[in-house]
Formats: sequence, C-alpha cells, structure tokens
Amino acid sequence: MQSFSYARPASLDSAIATFAEGGEGTRLLAGGTTLYDLMKLDVERPERIVDINGLAELSTIDTSGDELVFGALARMSDVAADPRLADEFPALSEALWKAASQQLRNMASLGGNLLQQTRCAYFRHGEPFACNKRSPGSGCSAIEGLNRGHALFGGSDACIATYPGDFAVALIAFDAEVDVAGPDGERTIPVSDLHRQPGDNPEAETVLMPGEIIIRIRVPADAVGRGSTYHKIRDRESYAFAVVSAAAAVRLEAGVVADARLALGGVATVPWRAREAEHSLIGTALTAETARAVGEIAFADAVTREHNAFKVELGANVVRDALLIASGRA
Amino acid sequence: MPTGPYAEIPRVDAYEKVRGRAIYGTDNNPSGVAYGAFVTATIGRGRITAMDLSEAQSIDGVRLIVNHEHTSDLQPARFIMQHGFAFQSYSPVLTPNVAYRGQPVALVVADTLESAIEAASRIRVSYEEHPFAATLDSERAEPVPQAEAATAWPIDDIVVGDAETVYADAAVKVDATYTMPTQHQNPMELIGTVAAWDGDHLTVYEGTQNAGACKFGLAEQLGIPPENVTVISPYTGGGFGQKNTMQSQQVLTAFAARELGRPVKVVVPRRQTFHDSSFRPATRQRVRLAADSAGRFTAALYDVDAQTSMHDFFQSEHADTAARHYGYGAFRSFTRLVRTDTPTPGYMRAPFEHATAFAIESAVDELAYEHGMDPVQIRLLNDTDTDIVDGLPHSSRHVSECLRRGAELFGWDRRTPEPRSMVAQNGDLIGMGVAIGLYAGSGGPNRASVRATRDGIIEISLGVHEMGQGIRTAIANVVARHLNVAPESVTAILGDTRGVPQMLTAGSWGSASSIPAAEAVCEALREALDALGTNAPEGASPAEILALADHDELSVEAATFAPGQNRDALGEIDTGHVAPSGPVYPDFITYSYAAHFVEVRVEQTTRRIRVPRVVSVFDCGRVLSPRTARSQAIGGVVWGVGGALREAGEVDPRYGGVLNADMAEYLVPVNADIGSIEVGFIDEPDPMVNRSGVKGLGEVVLVGVAPAITNAIYHATGVRARHLPVRIEDLV
Repeated sequence: MQSFSYARPASLDSAIATFAEGGEGTRLLAGGTTLYDLMKLDVERPERIVDINGLAELSTIDTSGDELVFGALARMSDVAADPRLADEFPALSEALWKAASQQLRNMASLGGNLLQQTRCAYFRHGEPFACNKRSPGSGCSAIEGLNRGHALFGGSDACIATYPGDFAVALIAFDAEVDVAGPDGERTIPVSDLHRQPGDNPEAETVLMPGEIIIRIRVPADAVGRGSTYHKIRDRESYAFAVVSAAAAVRLEAGVVADARLALGGVATVPWRAREAEHSLIGTALTAETARAVGEIAFADAVTREHNAFKVELGANVVRDALLIASGRA
Repeated sequence: MPTGPYAEIPRVDAYEKVRGRAIYGTDNNPSGVAYGAFVTATIGRGRITAMDLSEAQSIDGVRLIVNHEHTSDLQPARFIMQHGFAFQSYSPVLTPNVAYRGQPVALVVADTLESAIEAASRIRVSYEEHPFAATLDSERAEPVPQAEAATAWPIDDIVVGDAETVYADAAVKVDATYTMPTQHQNPMELIGTVAAWDGDHLTVYEGTQNAGACKFGLAEQLGIPPENVTVISPYTGGGFGQKNTMQSQQVLTAFAARELGRPVKVVVPRRQTFHDSSFRPATRQRVRLAADSAGRFTAALYDVDAQTSMHDFFQSEHADTAARHYGYGAFRSFTRLVRTDTPTPGYMRAPFEHATAFAIESAVDELAYEHGMDPVQIRLLNDTDTDIVDGLPHSSRHVSECLRRGAELFGWDRRTPEPRSMVAQNGDLIGMGVAIGLYAGSGGPNRASVRATRDGIIEISLGVHEMGQGIRTAIANVVARHLNVAPESVTAILGDTRGVPQMLTAGSWGSASSIPAAEAVCEALREALDALGTNAPEGASPAEILALADHDELSVEAATFAPGQNRDALGEIDTGHVAPSGPVYPDFITYSYAAHFVEVRVEQTTRRIRVPRVVSVFDCGRVLSPRTARSQAIGGVVWGVGGALREAGEVDPRYGGVLNADMAEYLVPVNADIGSIEVGFIDEPDPMVNRSGVKGLGEVVLVGVAPAITNAIYHATGVRARHLPVRIEDLV
C-alpha cells in the first residue's frame, strides 16, 4: 500500500481542522474495519489519515434520557450490549448484534458503521471491472452482471450498489439524527438524509461536506421502540450481510396499530424507509395477512435485475415476519 | 500386543497448536528475509505486450521484479497427472502468456511486504486480449470425451451389461440432471513459500501435503540436483487438496532468493488463492436410474461433464465411484472433460465423490419416491457384496450396517414419508433425509525408520504430512501400543525431506500407507531388541531393553506396500512421485463408507434452511485415534453443510476469475449454522487391505452429506434441489 501521513489529534477542533486542511485524499480513521479493508483492496488510497480515536468525548453512550445519545466512536458491541437499548429498542440492539462478527463489532464505531461502503464486488475488486462509484464515468459492471446482491430500490443507470449496513436501517425507522461538526460549526442531519442515492454521480455517497465529522447519533426515546425488531435474513446464520432485512416497529392502541415504522436493508442503495407501507398499517389490526399485504406494498415499486427478483417475494415475507415479531413485543 | 479398538488419547500436538508453538511454513523468518508480492493479470486470456516497471522500481525498498523476461533459465512445471510435480503444467510468469484472469504476471520483491504490494500495484501491464471461456457453460468451452483425452493414465468409460436397453424397458425410472458450481478449498493457512539458499543448497519452508514433489519439482525447474533441496513442512494449516503438489509461487520464490542472495518469503493472498490454485471443477451430471417392481436397481446411465483447463486434462473419476454405490444390474458411464480458460482444477476434498454422491443419492431418493419405498430400505435392498465393474469381492463393505445403525441413532422410524408432512411447533417444515457415501480405499508404499534410545525417546520418520487431520496422534497411538510406551514419548518426523521420502498425503491414503509402515518398523525394532538377547520381561519397553543390554540407542528401517505393489513402487516415492494403489486390487476391491442422516428445518415464510441435526456413521476400517477421527468426521459433515447450502465460486463470464474471492463473500458455514453432529464408527478392521486394517476417513466423511441435506429439503418442502448450493431463492 502507498505511504500516508498519520495524525492523531487530541481535540475535536484540531481533528476538524486537520481533516479539512487535508482535503481530498484525507480519510478519518475510527474503527478501521472498512478503511483498512478497502486500503488492502487498493480501492482506498489515502494520502493522509486522521485518527480520531483520541477523542474520548465521542465515545459516550447515554440511553437514560428522552433521547438516546451515542457518540460516533462508541463501539458497536458496547452499544449492542446496552440493557436499556435491548429492552426498549430491540430493533437497534439487534441491528448491531446481527452485523459482522464479534471481533469486527468490538472494533467498529457507530459513525464509521453508518458510512460503511458497499460490498459490490465490482466496486471492491478494481480492475478490470467498470464501476462509476470507484472510477466515475467508467460504467457499471453490475447492471448486466452478477447482481443478486444489488439494489431493488434507489438505483440508477449509473449504479445499483446496495448500502450494506444494518444499524442505519434501524435508525431511520426511529427518525434518528446525526450531529456533525465541521469547519463551519455543528449541524444536524436526519439519518434518512445522510446517504445520497447514486443518480448520475454514485461516487458522492453522503451529504457530508468536506471536513465534516459525525460526532453523535441521537434517537428520540419514543414508545414505539419497544415493539420493534430488526429481522435480518442472510445466506448464513451469522457473519453475513443481509439478503433482505427489515427494521419494523409498531405501537398498538386497543389492538389497533397507532404508529408503525418500517425500513428495509439489503435491497436499496441507501437505508430505505417504506413510508407508504407504514401508513397502510395505521388503524388496522395486525394479522399475518395484513402484515403480508404491507410487505407487498413495501416491495411494489421494486426494480428487479436478472439475479435478484426473488427478493420481492422474500422481502414481502420478511416484512410480514418482522411486523409480527414487533407486534408480539408491543 | 493388545488388539481391538484403540484407546482415545488427546491430540498430541494440541498444546503446541493452542500456544502458537507449532511453526507453520511461512511462520519462518530467516535472517534478512525479503518479501514478495504478485502482479496479477486483469484479462481473461491473451498475451503481455508490454510491462512498465518504472514507477514500481522507484518505490523504496524494491529489490527485484521478476517477469517473463528474466525467467528463461527456469523449466516449466509439469502436471502431476502427467508424472510431474505440479498442480498444473502451466507456469505463470515463465511466459508472456495469460491463460486466465488472476494469474501472476510478475513478482515484486522488496525489503518490506508493504513496499512489495505497493510496487506491484504500480506496474502497468499492456495486453493483447484473446476471447476466452470462463465457465462450464461458456460457448467457447471445449468438451472432450474423457476416453479420447491424451493422458498418462487413461480412464475409459465404464460399461457393464446393456444399461441403455434395460433402462428403456424399465417400469420405474428417474432421469435427472444435477449441477454443481466451482468450489475453493480455502484452508486457513494460505499458500506460501519461504526459500533460503546456503551456497548451492536450497531450503524451503512450506505448508504442503507433498514435500517430496516440492523437492524434486523445484530441483527440476531450477535445474539443480534434488539432493540440493530440502523441504520442511512439519505442519500444514489445512490442505484439502489445494496443497497437494507444487504451486506457482514456489519456483519463483526460490528463483528470487537465488537472484538476491537473501531469503524470500511469498504468501499468496486469499484473493489470489482463488485465482491461481486448484479448485473443485464445476460439474453437470445426468443420472438415469431404473428399478424393477421390487425396487432393485436394474440399470444406471451416468453422464458427466466435468470442467478442466485448456492446458491439462484433470481427469474425472466420478464414474468409478458412481458404479460402486450399489449393485446395479447394468451400468454405463460417459464422461466429458470440458476445457475452460482457468487454472487446472484439482483434488478438493472428496474431489469427485462429493459431486457423484449428490447426483446418485439424489436420484436414488427420487426413485424411492417414484416407487413409494422408504429411502433407507431401497438402499439396503441394493447393497452388494460384489463389485459390478470388476467382479471382485469387497474386502469389507459395512454400508448397510452404517445405514441401520444411523437410522436407529437418528430415529428414522419417526419420519413420515410424505413431503411437507412433518411440521414443527413454530411452523417450520421438518425434513429428514438420508444418503450414503463412499470413497476409494487406497494405499501406497511407505518407508519408515525408527530410533529408540535408552532415555526413552522413540523417534519415528514416516512419509506422511500432518495437516490437521491428526496423523501425529494416530501414529503416537499405534506406536505406543506396539512398543508399550506412552504416546507422549513418541516423536514423529513428518513432511520433512531430511527424513524418509515424503509421498503425497491425499486421497484418504495417509493412514493406510503410513500406519502399516509404522507397525512394520515397530515390529522390526522389536525383533532387533529381541536380538540383543536380554531376556527382558514380556512387555518391556525399548528403553528398558536397551538399558538391560547397555545399549544407548537402536535404529531400524522398514518399507511397506499396498496389495499388489512391490519394491518398484518405492522408486516412485524416492523420486517425489505418487504411487497409490487401489481401490481395485488384484483380488478384491476396497472402499470406505458413510451413511448420513440429516434433519432440516425450513422456515415457511423466508424459506431459510437450517440443519439442526446430523447423524453420521462411518466404516473406515480400524479407527486409530478415536478423538481425532471424530473431529475429522465432524469437520467433514460441516464441510458437507457448506457444500450443500453455502459454497460457490461466482464467475462473471464476461471477465473470468472469481468475483467472490474472499472469506466474507465466499460463504462457508459459521458456528451458528451448525447444530448437533453425532458420529458413529463401525470400527471393524478391514481384513485384507493392509496389516493395520485401516481404510481412509478424511474424505468419506464429507461424501453424501449434501444429498442427505437436499433429500431432507425435498421431504420438508416437496422441492427437489438439483443444483448446489441450495439457497433461499431456490425455495421461494
């Protein structure tokens, strides 16, 4: 791998300044689980690395108040093990538990997890594959290629790479936000707006501005969290990305759905909120049949490819099962 | 000497391994070692027209870049199945050719691994591209009838009776085609070489299943005498057939070390092991199976298309095993080798038998349903004492006993035959499936030496490699019994060309070739000790006898052969070649057997398949080390779960190579995928195949697991899976 400079700033201000000054070719190092991987694959070739692991203030976990607050450097395994999270927001806890492996969760940060890059093999494995995300303008090998893992939602003619993460999918179901700090100060972005659909320039993956660092994630401690699940169907029972996943949450009043949340993973270019499907649930009594119908609504607009069409039927059932698990906890 | 079943002893190298004291090939860091990294081809086939090294040469610490312009003194490798030493005849980097995407085209050597990798990434290669065939199904793939393929040891199609006519006239029949993708071994220890020269003597540290081939093959390629090459491989971190001959990097590493005058280490990264080593070829198998009204198999027609490379015929032995599954009335096979632009496929664990069992045992299950017969009963009914191909008796064949015992342990009688008839409380569909597996009982020549000392040291040298299967433990157990010493006092020198000649350890013949030699050399030692005339009491240890005789130590040698072999076979292993014999011997035929019983649960909505329970019973002759044998069996069953439900090399035919070339995307089972695995052994010594009564175990453990799973899936869902791996989409 090529040589790079390394800085480990002691304060957030210094980190932002170093990150901003570095410009293109500068990468933040948090858990390193994606960055190192892509550096070894020669997809990432940073010239400067800013290691933010010295910023202890970004590692806090506070689930005691009206808002769940997670520092961007909180480790996935620590957050997953938080008792209140497991009790009151099982979808968030499960989304973490069901990701990666214990070793990776011990290293990986929440902020880095949100920004995890696609597993599209044509993106990861360099030459000879065309990839507009890795090499803008080169084309997309996936659209006519082996696209079993590729997106049914949010794709474009330039890119159908799937957003691979789990936690962000669960977060958007609960209207979570991220606070980011940059050269112009702090701002707040809904997690659902953090990622960009590929459109004509798939290399731009998020709305973060140069020099901006995610510093924390906040989730409203809403009562809908308790009746929730992150249902993840994958090709093996652990250590695998989602074939289809669903973050589902319901709040029942007198046996009728008063609030419903549904987000999909493994099937879209960004964490995907299924709002129309959610709305269809409100005021209904949740049964296996209605849950299945919601699943069909969620996948009604899917754009399928040669190898991923089965995910429409599978996805409808994953949504069904997720809603039933969630309502069992509500 | 006591006979009967062997005692269970702990794995003798367990402490070394868990404490990191077991030193594997590329763990060695000779003083001054430099590191190599490969540049790999990005085209599917063609020719290098230019290679720009300027940027790479400017990287700090780069010492040498080896490409086809520098290697004209090196001889190309020769394919093991053409009496050579390498997994294929094609030698990357020795020519400007590109035979497949991902092959090495240059080796960069630098002071650090980081510099080598960076420099490799900066080499610009220009190619003339040629059209290519990346898969079995490619239009440009070239099928060649195997019987017409020019090979050192031709294999004909098998014809017994008039299977075509019998099949055509049969009352009950099945005609189905089963397909399997390429698979890659992925042993935990990567392929790699450390090469160090001392004057004109080369020492190579390498995890291999075949130190002998590495020694003689390197000598041949480098043009030096074999006695100037030492290969040291005391432990191999899993081989599974991927390490069973020379690899591409060996000669290049040795060449670079000689050029630089310092040791060089090359570890082939995981992604590159998918692209430049052997693999399980993709197959397409058509089975036509007929039965009479009683359920007896009257005819089987078996057509196999098996992938090979453009440069070698990797011969298919699928039909040899298929013909021995049952006592069919008539049998006819037709095998084609399909040439593709890939590395030469190879002997990945149960290389043919895994695929064969999937086809044959699935067809048997289909026929059982066609006939309305119980799947265990139809298998028992069609068992045989005599080999239909050669008319020879089986030296031992306890497959019916495996089936009966397995059925009882599993609780087969609780199964209701109708598909979808068994439902768990949580709504999951329950399926129960059975299949048998078999694997040739081969053996080979082996030299052995043993040295016993007055201090109680027993040092035995055998031609066999420890690759995790537990052969050191089996040897310790056998030697301990024969010499009346404690297993921990036995030191075995294995995988080391400074000891006796090292034959390929593969084909499930490791124990069957080395253990008889261990017994023979122990017997020779006993005789030599007796000749000292000490009148030692019955059962005295060698150390006690040597003390009585006032001798410091005693060394003896022995050699053993498989049935039908003579001393000529030693000439082969003495020169780094393979000399296996079997399963067809002059007077009998020998196979190992398995019966697998599998329970699956299929979630009705998502169609997730789980395997909570497997019961497997094996006939491998005498069990030498119960603990490591059971461990090997469990590993084989896990491998079978992976083969049935997880593993597939994904090839984009537009590019060639392997798309999912890492352990995150090439799925093998994880702990959470595996439920209960109960293992049983018949543990009856084979009375004919060798003095130890031992047949093979390491491969048969896997054979039949996949069809037992797919048969269980059929029972659960009514969906017949004829392609592996079975994934969610196959059942949605």
